[in-house]
Amino acid sequence: MKTAKQILIIIVISVISGLAANAINPKGIPLILEKNIYALDTAKQKKTVDGFVNDPYDTTTKKNNNNMLGSTGKKNKEGFIEPENITVELAKNLFDRNALFVDARAKEEYDSVHVKGSINLPHEEFRSKGFNEKSESMKKYNKDGIIVVYCKGGKCEVSIDLAYEIARLGFNSVNIYRGGIAEWKEKGFPVQP
Amino acid sequence: MTNFLTNKYFQISLRIILGVIFIYASVGKLFRPEDFAKAILRYEFLPVYFVNIMAIVMPWVEFFTGVLLITGIFKKASSLLAGISLIVFLTALISAFARGLDISCGCFSLEETSTKGDIIYRIVQDVFMLAGAVIVYKFSDTKKAQETVTAEEIN
Repeated sequence: MKTAKQILIIIVISVISGLAANAINPKGIPLILEKNIYALDTAKQKKTVDGFVNDPYDTTTKKNNNNMLGSTGKKNKEGFIEPENITVELAKNLFDRNALFVDARAKEEYDSVHVKGSINLPHEEFRSKGFNEKSESMKKYNKDGIIVVYCKGGKCEVSIDLAYEIARLGFNSVNIYRGGIAEWKEKGFPVQP
Repeated sequence: MTNFLTNKYFQISLRIILGVIFIYASVGKLFRPEDFAKAILRYEFLPVYFVNIMAIVMPWVEFFTGVLLITGIFKKASSLLAGISLIVFLTALISAFARGLDISCGCFSLEETSTKGDIIYRIVQDVFMLAGAVIVYKFSDTKKAQETVTAEEIN
């Protein structure tokens, strides 16, 4: 009985500390998570992108992808447009339209095989950079251009985190391809080397 | 054997080892609830509604459990709580392993790599820690342990 009481005390203190720490933490989170933004099954086919060719490097174009990707263009509370999950079909469609593919895996993994023409931004490295450094490294890319972030596939989730990092920099059409390199290869789509 | 398990220095070392591991595991998470929530979500184990509150409270339970284990205050309660926590972690780990989830553990570090997770290693580690917690719980109160032995002998 004494032990049960003591456990209760420890738990109560932990709950109070946790709630207090979360309240004063600028990166605190809501107590109840309303929807799992990391859910796997939100991938959906967006509007058709037929007849559209993306240019990731043309930073002068401002209307590259308006309405092309079904992006609402609405910023969330944090002031950026949230990345969306896409299917393999749409990923391939965007690939054919010259979207910028970003590989979130480590360099060795990228070097062994990656989506043809993709660039490598290892998430571990990228997240440790400061905001300005991140912005600088992405400066050469079109903010309105279509970006597709992927990683290994399966349960790998660095693509999600990297996509959010990129979206926070002000990129307006960031997409997450959850199938990753595994599914891409399986479909026989173009890879390098 | 019981003599050894109830040995004061053995008990103290065991508590310190467990306590340090618990504190070490908790400090990285105390002020990063978002990252820890993501780590929990990866297990697809808890209902989504509970994930955040778990991410907010659990590291503090670990932290205080660790502190109490080391200081020796509430020995029974802290070792029992450590045991319960470890059983919860083990259940999550084993179920993730059984379902073939390729996730990083989120046990100590919240940094995830895209390479294969370390689940089996963590399962083994948790089993050892659980054994430690059980030993502390059962034998920390030396007097009582001896009393039990005597009672058994009498019967």
